[in-house]
Amino acid sequence: MDDHLIDLERRSISLIREAKAQFKNLAVLWSTGKDSTATLWLCKKSFFGEIPLPVIHIDTGYKFPEIYEFRDRISKEWNLDLIIARNEEATKKGMSPKNGKLACCTQLKTEALKNLIRKEEYDALILAIRRDEHGIRAKERYFSPRDEEFHWRYTDQPAELWDLYVKPSEDFSHMRVHPILHWTELDVWQYVKHEGLPTNPLYFAKDGMRYRSLGCKPCTVPIPSKASTIDEIVEELTTTEIPERAGRAQDKERAYMMQKLRSLGYM
Amino acid sequence: MIILALDALDLNMVTKYKCKNLMQNEYGQTSLAEFELERTVVLWASFLTGKNMEPEIPVKTQWEFKLRPEQTFLPFFKTHLAIDVPAFSLKEKNHAEERRLLKKYFDEEANVEEYDPVVWENHEENKKDFFGSLGQYDVVMGYFDLADAIGHLSFGLPEKMEKVYIELEQMAQEVKTRSDDHILVISDHGMKPVGRYGDHSRNGFYSANRTLGLNLPKITDFYNIIRAVAKGESS
Repeated sequence: MDDHLIDLERRSISLIREAKAQFKNLAVLWSTGKDSTATLWLCKKSFFGEIPLPVIHIDTGYKFPEIYEFRDRISKEWNLDLIIARNEEATKKGMSPKNGKLACCTQLKTEALKNLIRKEEYDALILAIRRDEHGIRAKERYFSPRDEEFHWRYTDQPAELWDLYVKPSEDFSHMRVHPILHWTELDVWQYVKHEGLPTNPLYFAKDGMRYRSLGCKPCTVPIPSKASTIDEIVEELTTTEIPERAGRAQDKERAYMMQKLRSLGYM
Repeated sequence: MIILALDALDLNMVTKYKCKNLMQNEYGQTSLAEFELERTVVLWASFLTGKNMEPEIPVKTQWEFKLRPEQTFLPFFKTHLAIDVPAFSLKEKNHAEERRLLKKYFDEEANVEEYDPVVWENHEENKKDFFGSLGQYDVVMGYFDLADAIGHLSFGLPEKMEKVYIELEQMAQEVKTRSDDHILVISDHGMKPVGRYGDHSRNGFYSANRTLGLNLPKITDFYNIIRAVAKGESS
């Protein structure tokens, strides 16, 4: 492993261990995508081969069949304490992408997670977000508090200087911990290759198209690509000008504005 | 004196749409470097008092925040009227309705076609109050949130923003036609595009029909300028 990947991994492992030491009831979110699978692997390495944390998969019911197959296979192979979070009530009432992306994501993803956090009383969650994914994520911290409504006050965050991750003094519902915040998409693929990590087949090109970011089937579209191996994906990433989440139908500008207007006190 | 307080009026848009009456004799940007966030209530409170009010106005309760007249420049004038001014005489019901619809928009329970008419209706109400009071007070300060409220959901849509700036330009023209008193046009912050949406920018706008000789002033600098006008120290 080159020095860059060693540095990235060391910091991530240190963050995961710090989180385990600081919080009583920590869990890790796993979408089965490359980032969260790499994060699970880092959790395994942090605790010498076992993951002593519940692994949460939020199941909207609208994911690709390949995601469910991958989830069930890896869960068995890695002996995961897998918890599947679903908002059954919303599903029964007919919530689906037809009701609008934001309403659907809110009910089937956000509310499903909120309900689980309340039920299991998690005080911290490990998430595999990265700063280079989107402008708003660039503002994130490694330790990022949320209130009960999942609101994030990004204008009032600790500085995290000298690798000191201090819990904020005010009340918060739970802490988000982001151990691969400092990684790039290219770093993740290079790490996946180096560690020989299992990869969802949707990432590899078929008929000139591949998925670069995985979400729910109705709201995710593939990008044109000929990359059918990890080496080819790495090669593609060094030249592409297409943003990673271009295939995700969520409206990021809208999300940014909503967050900004909240911070300004409009909502 | 007449103060046209135009929320989110932006220098780039004023020049883009060649709004000569908004530009007046002297115009330019204000700097918000001393503020952490471009919060409307904070910035208007700071304009009224001549000091940075950011530490005194919490986000959660900002819309209820009210200054007493003696904390502002208004009593420098014998008679004064402030129409719908945040932190002072805000028409709470109107703005609460705009914010309610804004939230509903982001909750996907309302669309922009429901929101825009409410903003325009509130604007027309303020316009009526404002032009109805000109000439009756030593200072009239009229606040209009049209550029801000429409801009937040539609700043990237030129056809909508052009209509907003034409409206504000026509108002400035009417003020100029009806009065040769001191006229100050001032905004709290500007606006920048985020796709179709509009976000607060870090510079406000000012213009005056007299030469002030300002260079990137702070919004708090106008307190002393207005005091000088009230005392007759300014021509």
